[in-house]
Amino acid sequence: MWIAPELESGANVLYLQGRWRLAHVPGIAAEVAALRLAGDHCVLDGSRLEELDTAAGFVLLRRLAELGCIARTVEVRQMAEAHARLLTLVRERMAAPSVASPTRHRGAIERVGRAAVLVGRILRAQVAFLGRVGLELAALLRRPGLFRLKETVSQFETVTLDAIGIAALVTFLIGIVFAYLLGVQAQRFGAAIFVVDGVGLAICRELSPILVAVIVAGRSGAAFTAQIGSMKVQEETDAIRTLGLSPIQVLVVPRLLAIMTGLPLLVFVGDLAGIAGGMLIASLQLDISPTAFLARLHTVLPLKAVVVGLVKAPVFAAFIALIACRMGLAVARDARSVGEHTTSTVVQSIVWVIVLDALFAVVLQRLGI
Amino acid sequence: MENVLEVRDIVTRFGVDVVHDGVSFAVQRGEVVALIGGSGTGKSVLLKEMIGLLRPTSGSVHLLGTDVCRSSEEEMNGLRRRFGMLFQDGALFSSLSVAENIAVPLREHTDLPDALIAPLVGFKLSLVGLSPDTGRKTPAELSGGMRKRVALARALALEPEILFLDEPTSGLDPIGARAFDSLVRALSDSLGLTVFMVTHDLDTLLSIIDRTIALSTGKVIADGPVAAVMRSDHPWIQEYFSARAPHEEGNR
Repeated sequence: MWIAPELESGANVLYLQGRWRLAHVPGIAAEVAALRLAGDHCVLDGSRLEELDTAAGFVLLRRLAELGCIARTVEVRQMAEAHARLLTLVRERMAAPSVASPTRHRGAIERVGRAAVLVGRILRAQVAFLGRVGLELAALLRRPGLFRLKETVSQFETVTLDAIGIAALVTFLIGIVFAYLLGVQAQRFGAAIFVVDGVGLAICRELSPILVAVIVAGRSGAAFTAQIGSMKVQEETDAIRTLGLSPIQVLVVPRLLAIMTGLPLLVFVGDLAGIAGGMLIASLQLDISPTAFLARLHTVLPLKAVVVGLVKAPVFAAFIALIACRMGLAVARDARSVGEHTTSTVVQSIVWVIVLDALFAVVLQRLGI
Repeated sequence: MENVLEVRDIVTRFGVDVVHDGVSFAVQRGEVVALIGGSGTGKSVLLKEMIGLLRPTSGSVHLLGTDVCRSSEEEMNGLRRRFGMLFQDGALFSSLSVAENIAVPLREHTDLPDALIAPLVGFKLSLVGLSPDTGRKTPAELSGGMRKRVALARALALEPEILFLDEPTSGLDPIGARAFDSLVRALSDSLGLTVFMVTHDLDTLLSIIDRTIALSTGKVIADGPVAAVMRSDHPWIQEYFSARAPHEEGNR
């Protein structure tokens, strides 16, 4: 219905009919593909053609080229001027070969190898970055005037103060769960009061630091990477450098200091909230009054357990900040890269928090702390 | 000739700021029209209102016979296949390759098989003067001028009847800008495409534009061929065109 081929005095004449628009291209393409010609000459008759666009024109001319009809051997007659002009444009531009998009599939071994190389590269870059930040911190000690108080305080506010609610909520709930599970077991042996020992120690030494660090990694670590990454995309980091400032001094140091001071405080809030959660369950389920709970806690919770938890926090914080800022500065100039790097920050930070916690456990055990 | 775009009494307010205070004009099929105006006169806002991304406070926009401000989402979707928009910085999808970018409208809005989409995409690329090999690259690997060309190819993918361009030559070097201008003009002539652009580029105005509409203080202050607009005695227009004069003298 789109094309009527006829033989008129030995010449192929193709009557194009109807509206040759993109919407009808699948039908047109099917008809055109079935086209057979005697010889390599043809005449395109446009007298029945109502509309024509480039997609339809392209499909026709491509098929004609396959059949051996090239510019010299295709004649156009009775065609509206606009349509003829369009066909000329299409013919001029279609000379180039079509694109094949080769996607090479990599074998399993190659993938593993590439991943390993990538991890090595990340680690090396991380160490280099640590060195650069160290140098900038040393410069800061020599010239305290470089310190950006305002930026640091505002980062501290978003990293710490704004996170108090979520940190307290999560540790409170974990305190509840932990006390409940422990209580069910302890009650069987008539040892309900030992729940206080368990909750106090677990929350202060392990749970609160880990959970709060994970929350901060997801919350602030991701934010750091996204902020610095989009600044990189907008060339703001280049502008900072051009103005004679150091991106590390302007962007990284305030965030590093804010998170290192903030995380121990959040962990302390977490300690209190977790113990409060345990206390709630103790009084509701185990009949241990809050007064008795606190009295017991005083005698059984060693100060060093709390201190260990608080000491771990700035170490976690430093890793989170360094990973997040470095990933932010490593963003390439497009939006997808920001997303990829942010994801990578969160994953790396959480893994490192847990690895560090394990290291702390082993080392402190050996030291007898 | 038939009007493909009619803008009637557009008023736009953002809070107390009046951006447009009764803007009206019409564009005929096949015309290449430029909208000029100083910074902050709401050129881009007007453009977004014409294609339904923003809603004016009052007034109406008829695009290809459809009332943009008062039509349902379904009618708008039908309309969106009939015009193309080239955003200022290209707005290419950075997660897709160049070829995939151009294929997006074809995949979403037509039933073309993949076997037909691939050659069509290659053809669109050569239509805008790029080598089909460009299709494999990602937008991040392209120069500013190439990004605009790819964006143009994407805007042309659905064979639109009208093409909107937002500052098509900004950020291009003069040679690239002139090449882009002549590409737009050639496509408009061959495809019978109506082109409506917002521009700051005087060279564009003087080379490829049929008609210029000047916007100032929320109103249309001049509408006509460039030569006629240049003769207007409105102070802003005088200043706009005289900004170029020293250049020309320097060239002589």
